[in-house]
This record gives sequence, C-alpha cells and structure tokens, in this order.
Amino acid sequence: MIVTEQKAFTEIVGYLNPYKRLFIVGCGSCATAWHTGGETEVREMAGKLQDMGKIITGWVVVEEPCDERKTKRELQRAHAAEVAEAEALLVMACGAGTGTVAMAIPDKPIYPALNSLYLARLERLTRTDERCVLCGECVLAWTGGICPLATCPKGLLNGPCGGYKDGHCEVDQSKECAWVAIYQRMKNLDSLEMLETIHPPKDFSKMTHPRRVDKTPA
Amino acid sequence: MALLNELFEAKKFVVTVEIGPPKGVDLTEALEDAELLRGRVDAFNVTDQQSSVMRLGSLPLCHLLKDRGLEPVFQITCRDRNRIALQSDLLSAYVLGVQNILCLTGDHVSLGDHPQAKPVFDLDSVSLLQAASLLQKGQDLAGKELKGKPQFSLGAVVTPGGDPVELQIIKMEKKVKAGAQFFQTQAVYEPETFARFMDKVSYLNVPVMVGIVLLKSAAMARFMNKNVAGVHVPENLIEEMDKAPNKAQKSIEIAARLIREMRPLCQGVHIMPIGWEKRVPALLDAAGL
Repeated sequence: MIVTEQKAFTEIVGYLNPYKRLFIVGCGSCATAWHTGGETEVREMAGKLQDMGKIITGWVVVEEPCDERKTKRELQRAHAAEVAEAEALLVMACGAGTGTVAMAIPDKPIYPALNSLYLARLERLTRTDERCVLCGECVLAWTGGICPLATCPKGLLNGPCGGYKDGHCEVDQSKECAWVAIYQRMKNLDSLEMLETIHPPKDFSKMTHPRRVDKTPA
Repeated sequence: MALLNELFEAKKFVVTVEIGPPKGVDLTEALEDAELLRGRVDAFNVTDQQSSVMRLGSLPLCHLLKDRGLEPVFQITCRDRNRIALQSDLLSAYVLGVQNILCLTGDHVSLGDHPQAKPVFDLDSVSLLQAASLLQKGQDLAGKELKGKPQFSLGAVVTPGGDPVELQIIKMEKKVKAGAQFFQTQAVYEPETFARFMDKVSYLNVPVMVGIVLLKSAAMARFMNKNVAGVHVPENLIEEMDKAPNKAQKSIEIAARLIREMRPLCQGVHIMPIGWEKRVPALLDAAGL
C-alpha cells in the first residue's frame, strides 16, 4: 500500500484561503486502510472546514482515485452537480490519486490534503514500513526478499557499510540494518554464498520520470 | 615518494596519518600539521568531507601536498557524486599526480551538517573500486575507451569489530575482487579481536593497516562504545584513561602500546588523530616508528 500522512491543517487552510465552496475527495483504498483519507477522515475534514465558515458542496470517497475511470464516474457523473458548485477540490489521497483527480477535473484548482510517503508493508493497523522504491529492476531474488534500496538509507547493493551496530543502522538506531537482516535470512536459508556476487550499479535510467506503460496494441 | 602498493610490495610497515581539509579556505593549519610529519609517515590520507560535514575538497589538498613533496591518499566517497563525477574525479586525481586512492561508501548525509542534502550513492565502495580498476584498463563504466590510462594504488576500508564480522569479510572479499590492493581499518582497541580478524582474512592475502584513533578521555571512549559502529574500547583502557593525571600522555602511551602489539599482525598503521595532529610525532616516537 501507499502510506500517506495528513498535512498540517494550517498548510491546507493556507491553500484553501481564497475559496469558500469546496468539494472533498477521499480514497477508498490505501488512505482508508491507513486512516488518512477514508470516510471518517473526510467527514472530520469537512467538519473542521465548515467550522471555519467554508461551505462543503459535497464529498465522495472514490474506491480508487488513482483509477481515472472510477474517479471520472464519481466526479463527472454521480457528483457532477456538487463538483460544479465548488470553487476548488481538496483531495485526501496519495499523489497519484490527487494527480488523477486533477486530470479528471481540468477546470478547477485541486489541492492535496496528504503527503505521500512510501510503498509499504502494512504490518498492523498502526504500523507500516517501506518495502519497495519501484526501481524498475527487482533485486529481491538475491536479497532474500528484503529490498536494500528500500531498507538501507544508502541503498547499498553489495553489502553493508561500516555503520551497523548491534544489528541496527547508524542513520536511525531504531531501525535494523538492511544487510544484517539480509545476511540473517540468507544464513537461515543456507544461501550465504549468494551474498558473494558483486552486483553492478543500478540502472537508474529505469527510474527516469515520468514512467509510462501503454499496453494498447499498436 | 612511493605509492602505497609499492611500499607493501617492498614489505615495508606502512604508516599513514589522516588529515582533514578545513571548513573554509585557510590551509595554514592543515599544511603545518603535514609539515610536522614530513619524513615520518609514508602518506597523508585526506578525508572527503568527513562525517558528511561540508568542507574543502580532498583532491585539492592532496594536490597541494604532492606539490610539496608529501605523498597523499585521496579519499573518495560515493555520497556526493554520481558515477560520471566519480570517474571524472579519479581521472582528475591522476593528472594532478594523486594516485593513492581510498574508495569508501561515505557517511550518510543525515549525520552531517547539511542533513537535507540529496544523498547520491549511485555507486557503492565495491562498484567504485571496479570503476577505478576499469579506468586503469583504459575503459569507463559505460565501456567507452579512454585517451590515456591512469594508474592508481587502490585502497578500501573494513571494520574488524563489525558484528557479524562475516558480513564485513564477505564485502572485503568483494572489494579485493574489485581491485582493492590495501585496506585500512576502523579504530581497533582490542588486539585479540584484531588477531582473530586477521586470521580470518589471511586467505585474501591483502595488506591491512590497523586503524588507531587517539583516545582523548574516558568520556570519549564511552561515547564511541555507545555510538560508533564497530568500535569497542575495553573497560580496562577506559579505566586507565580515567585514572591518568595527564590524559594526553596516557593517550599516546595507550596508542603506542596498541601499535606495538598489533604491528606483528598486520602490514601497516593508519593513525586518525582527530584534532591531536600535533601529538602524532610523539606517538610515532613512542611506538618506535
């Protein structure tokens, strides 16, 4: 899932200052699971904005706002009238969801209510950690399923730096060293020899933005 | 002046000392410190924005030392430069007469004085060594041919006190395969641990210079034990420092003793004075170097 956090309310209010009438879009997927942009949070946000004298013309939690078809269905059809009444939209979704709403509603300003943080494992309802950086050439085959790009602050591919202590990382001592974790897993799998291979530097051309895939037959 | 790999080949016990470029452009003190050790050490190991603190670069100071007839070691880290800049700086070093290169991953930017900076780490210490080795063969990382080949003496680092140490050794072996001709270590205070480490890496058949950091106080030792990965100062040394009326004298006595004890185990010593550069001549005297 994509982990998000709500922006400080003062920052959101700063963006919305010129507008009186607002429509709010939530996310029924990641932001609902992580409680940053589901129905509860959208209702809370609407209440706080109304307390400041804003008029909420309507709100909707789109099942997956990053799916343009679903977003258009909700904003251009089911809630078209409420959206039309609004001067601006506030989106409580990740950057992909917010960007998709902007593409779907070209004639109104769109503001993000969340910061997008990382692609995560949801460990429990209150805990997630980063697991993937979408690098474009997955390395998990030789790292025991633990991504050193996502879990080592330096993204090292050939083993740890000298900064691990008691299995923890010197950049953040509350976190375990990615390579100690990889080492322990490979040791348990009796595959330590896999760590002896020298891996060439990453092909960062695979991460050149914007990335786009079109599977439509030519 | 000779390159470090030549000294190791000649079976010399090599002595290097770390020297840090200033934050700013006043080189008076750095050059004074180096001058104090003229003829007493084999090379000056110039740090690359150590601890991720922005300073004058390593390469210009290496070049200035070389101009004064002092042999430098250019520390180069992967923290601030991508593969284009790293390879270019290696070529630049060679044309400036700087051929001893110490390849490091580098500290993370979050530990320094510009924690908001973008950390690069396009290469790591292993792929940086590979890049330098390739350049020596007349090729770059893109497989393109060079006009004129540089020649380097390539070094790398290892932490004998890393736990698990096997993880350090796996990486050390990769560094040897990638072209490392010598190693210098993180600070060592336990000769027994170092002896065990040297025994484990003897199959690599590569010269190792033991790292010596001058202890300034018992508090510094305790701080390192708590915060510096792979460094452990044993309790008896901390007590010795604590009880000593003259800390500087005791510091030198301990460091000299460590050097004497570990000298038979390795091929050189790398001294990191961390502000006590002016005391290095006394240390060399005490250690019989």
